[in-house]
Amino acid sequence: MSKISRAIREIQTMEELAQRDQWVNRIHPLVKLFLTVFYIAVVVSFPKYQLTGLLGMMIYPLFLFEMGELSVREALHRLRIVLPLVCVAGIFNPFFDREILICWGSFAISGGVISMVTLMLKGIFTVLATYLLIASTSIESICYAMRLIHIPKVFVTQILLIYRYITVLLKETDRMMQAYALRAPGQKGVHVKAWGSMMGQLLLRSMDRAEELYESMCLRGYHGEFYCGKSVGFLGKDLAFLLIWTAVILIFRLFPVLEYVGSLFV
Amino acid sequence: MSHIHIEVKDLSFAYEEKHPVLQEVSFLAGEHDAIGLIGANGVGKSTLLKLLVGLQTDFEGSIRVEEIPVQKETLTQIRQKIGYVFQDSDSQLFMSNVYDDVAFAPRNYGLPEPEVDRRVMQALEMVQITHLKDKPIYKLSGGEKKLCSIATILSMTPDIILMDEPSVALDPKNRRNLIHILNGFEHLKIIASHDLDFILDTCNRVILMDQGRIVKDGKAEEILSDQGLLEAHSLELPLCYGSRHHVL
Repeated sequence: MSKISRAIREIQTMEELAQRDQWVNRIHPLVKLFLTVFYIAVVVSFPKYQLTGLLGMMIYPLFLFEMGELSVREALHRLRIVLPLVCVAGIFNPFFDREILICWGSFAISGGVISMVTLMLKGIFTVLATYLLIASTSIESICYAMRLIHIPKVFVTQILLIYRYITVLLKETDRMMQAYALRAPGQKGVHVKAWGSMMGQLLLRSMDRAEELYESMCLRGYHGEFYCGKSVGFLGKDLAFLLIWTAVILIFRLFPVLEYVGSLFV
Repeated sequence: MSHIHIEVKDLSFAYEEKHPVLQEVSFLAGEHDAIGLIGANGVGKSTLLKLLVGLQTDFEGSIRVEEIPVQKETLTQIRQKIGYVFQDSDSQLFMSNVYDDVAFAPRNYGLPEPEVDRRVMQALEMVQITHLKDKPIYKLSGGEKKLCSIATILSMTPDIILMDEPSVALDPKNRRNLIHILNGFEHLKIIASHDLDFILDTCNRVILMDQGRIVKDGKAEEILSDQGLLEAHSLELPLCYGSRHHVL
């Protein structure tokens, strides 16, 4: 399977995950959207040396992985390109911040190392929270939630259409690459001489296909407002989920819960 | 006398100047007509269908759909009356699952959710694919995609159905199924196709086009059995007539 086919398959797998009939999937999309944004904001707000407090924030993604019956390993595999980039963010901190903060006998840890790990964890947690939102909520539901909080329809429609056109673009690219490979045996990739015409063709074909999709939407009453799926009622369980998790995230942010728990065993 | 649904008068159109695609096309279509639009590649069949739903409005002449002239200001009204099925189903289906795609039009027309649900289920039942309701679009076969495309327009409860090459890429069983379903519709149908057997099975009237003009307009059986006429316009007898002729 080519890289492009694999990318298309990955997008389809994410859609399948979002459409499963799981407890987490049935939570109102607005609740999940709010909690994800809130969680990311709280995670990012941790001071650079507050590593133990930040570790406690792991509870939210772990809970969702467990309740949504999602595989952590698969998630890490899917995020294998993004996570290293996120981790690179604090890689120079140990060189600039050499003040020793922790000493265990002859073993010392500088503030730079702790702030680097904190930054990495912040990146990992925020990416995981976003992944969990996408894996438990369809793009239409996320956009529906965005419209509920009056995010301008032009932005929401842009997000939806970009998401749809990514697959269109990938499929066109895949077809062209297959046609090229069949007539260029033994060649790795596309020869530099063909780059220009390939890109031009890809652009024109994608524009044609995009125009047909747009025509199809117009013929079915599209006037700029994308109705993103079934409207969902806000139930008691949604409110309870929202309140409980807002409280849990706040408690983990304001109090050193892990330290309290640790002191029970010392 | 049957009610006139579409009136096309002296219609001419060109994508580029000096290269007319349609020239002085005129015809009337009544409510009980099932019209097969036939002709060789590039004679303007698809363009004519696109003009009928107002995908191009810079044409000469006039098109009236149920007395309403096709122009920019009336497109919303026109498109509520006409369902257009694209040749390539992938161009028609863009939501993540069958239900949402079929519900796209009723939701756009602001119908309440219970009514949307009723229309979606009714449309799916008409094309016998209720079991595919929650299936992701990319998992559908070619035949299922075509039926789903038809369901997306049926949920708008149109008075007129236009189809561009509906039998392309269908296996014999799906093709037979589609013929059966189309024959069950009482709407005015205009079907553009090269598949003359399909036209013979689904249409009672045929419009033969060549070089952007209507060459012949008449009963399907008469036109489709006229070997000389068909061959003069780069077509051949439908296989059923051809094989019968061969046997005789």
